[in-house]
Amino acid sequence: MKNIYVAFCCEYKKVSHSKMLWITIVLFTFIPMMMGLMIYVVRHPEISAKMGLIAAKASLFGNADWPAFFGILHQSVATIGLIGYGFVAAWIFGREHSERTMKDLIALPISRSYIVTAKFLVAIVWCLFLSVILIAVGLMMGKWVGISGWSHEVFVHGMTKYFVTSFMTLLLITPVAFFAGYGRGIIVPIGFVIITLILSQFIAIAGFGAFFPWAIPGLNTVPEGTEGMQLFPISYVILVLTCLAGYLGTLAWWRFADHHS
Amino acid sequence: MEEIITTEKLSKQYKDVLAVSDLSLHVRKGEIYGFLGLNGAGKTTTIRMLLGMINATSGSAHINGMKVHAGNTNLWKDIGYLVEVPYAYSELTVRENLEIVRRLRFLDDKHVVDAIIDRLNLTQYAHRKAKNLSLGNAQRLGLAKAMIHNPQILILDEPSNGLDPAGIYEIRELLTSLSKDQGVTVFISSHILGEVSRFATRIGIIHEGKLIKEINSEHLEQLCKKRLRVKTKNNILAREVLLQNNLICEEIHDNMFELESESAIANPDEIATLLVNKGVPPTMLNVVEEDLESYFLRTIGIKGGAK
Repeated sequence: MKNIYVAFCCEYKKVSHSKMLWITIVLFTFIPMMMGLMIYVVRHPEISAKMGLIAAKASLFGNADWPAFFGILHQSVATIGLIGYGFVAAWIFGREHSERTMKDLIALPISRSYIVTAKFLVAIVWCLFLSVILIAVGLMMGKWVGISGWSHEVFVHGMTKYFVTSFMTLLLITPVAFFAGYGRGIIVPIGFVIITLILSQFIAIAGFGAFFPWAIPGLNTVPEGTEGMQLFPISYVILVLTCLAGYLGTLAWWRFADHHS
Repeated sequence: MEEIITTEKLSKQYKDVLAVSDLSLHVRKGEIYGFLGLNGAGKTTTIRMLLGMINATSGSAHINGMKVHAGNTNLWKDIGYLVEVPYAYSELTVRENLEIVRRLRFLDDKHVVDAIIDRLNLTQYAHRKAKNLSLGNAQRLGLAKAMIHNPQILILDEPSNGLDPAGIYEIRELLTSLSKDQGVTVFISSHILGEVSRFATRIGIIHEGKLIKEINSEHLEQLCKKRLRVKTKNNILAREVLLQNNLICEEIHDNMFELESESAIANPDEIATLLVNKGVPPTMLNVVEEDLESYFLRTIGIKGGAK
């Protein structure tokens, strides 16, 4: 445990001093604020009449009530989370290559597997923190805008689904970490995230989303009973196996690959 | 004497390129082993294999009697290293970067950070972010990371890069003192023979992935060739005269020629007498000794920068 603790503290120090932490915080604050403003536009037809394109976009948000707003937050954490969490993992693992500090982590008395695990732990903490920011700002905006339809049940259901979706999205950071190593930097894993995001949209529309790991968190946000969009028990197994494969792949890459950076 | 670093037929192949070929090294305790070669000769690849950063295609490496492999974390406790250009976490200060290394090396004594900052003359830069350091100070930070735990073995790849002459001298003195006073074994690579030969106790020359020569530094001077350089007003006649006396000359630049004959080098006065008697008195007669750089280039088969 001491090894993990030491490695975690070092990784935490690196992250806490980086600009990237603040950039992601600003991004995850800005997105729910914009959503709240859209809901505000929907709820005030006199404003939407003057706003043209923004009003058209806002109309896509549908009913301006709390169940609908939670639905938007769920979809946000599934899609923006996929990008945001992916970016976090790509940066935590890829920066060691792009900043050429990888060699300083290779020949140490601490095992490379502890460093990899500590990096994942820091990524999890960082991503969960972003999830909390997204939902907290979203709730505050919802209250400020005065969205209707609030109830304890809606809140509990909305929050549970939000954090389950967030956790499911979080499981998908491990393959990104692998590609950060394989691609020796940040570009390849970011590219991987974008490709999986695009593929997940097409595969979900084609009706096979329940079997494609990167479409599964998104499907979890779809209202129950939507035809062709339901998840199966095997979907959760696929998600966990993808996470494990990414984790073990990253460990193996750190342990066995040639390190030139 | 106890061998600290040994490699047996260590090789590394990248597709069609044989970066290191059958390299067998034996570095003894307390030695400063200068590992010399041109850029791309295989120095860094060898050092990365010694540090378990890349896997050997064949052969093996042992440090302190333990086989080098990525999973052997105990091996690295007593080894400090610096590979190529040192980089640090740019958003962290010098002190914070060293604090990370201290923790990852499980050093409980927090004072080691201050001690190494002081030792590497980084005190005035301790709170400066690594991204704002000059190349020379970044190099000092790299050395500080390598030496923070007072290792018994130092593996350094081109540690003088970016340092000014005073810095190079300072590092040379530091490494010499570590070796002499504390028995630290230093394996240091460089492409500059003149620099390493000043303090290395043994030198290995690697070229195109192969170790082509190992020399004890005290024998280095003896291996450098001497030549007798001659200049006359009629070099053609002078060379004919010398050739008649079985002295082979080679014409070089600036209207001069050279003799490699040991007897000529030992007795330049006789050459002068010979030339005067034949009516071509020398206008210049000089015994020159090959410098270490030239020796290095000659050893790897390069003269004047071209093969």
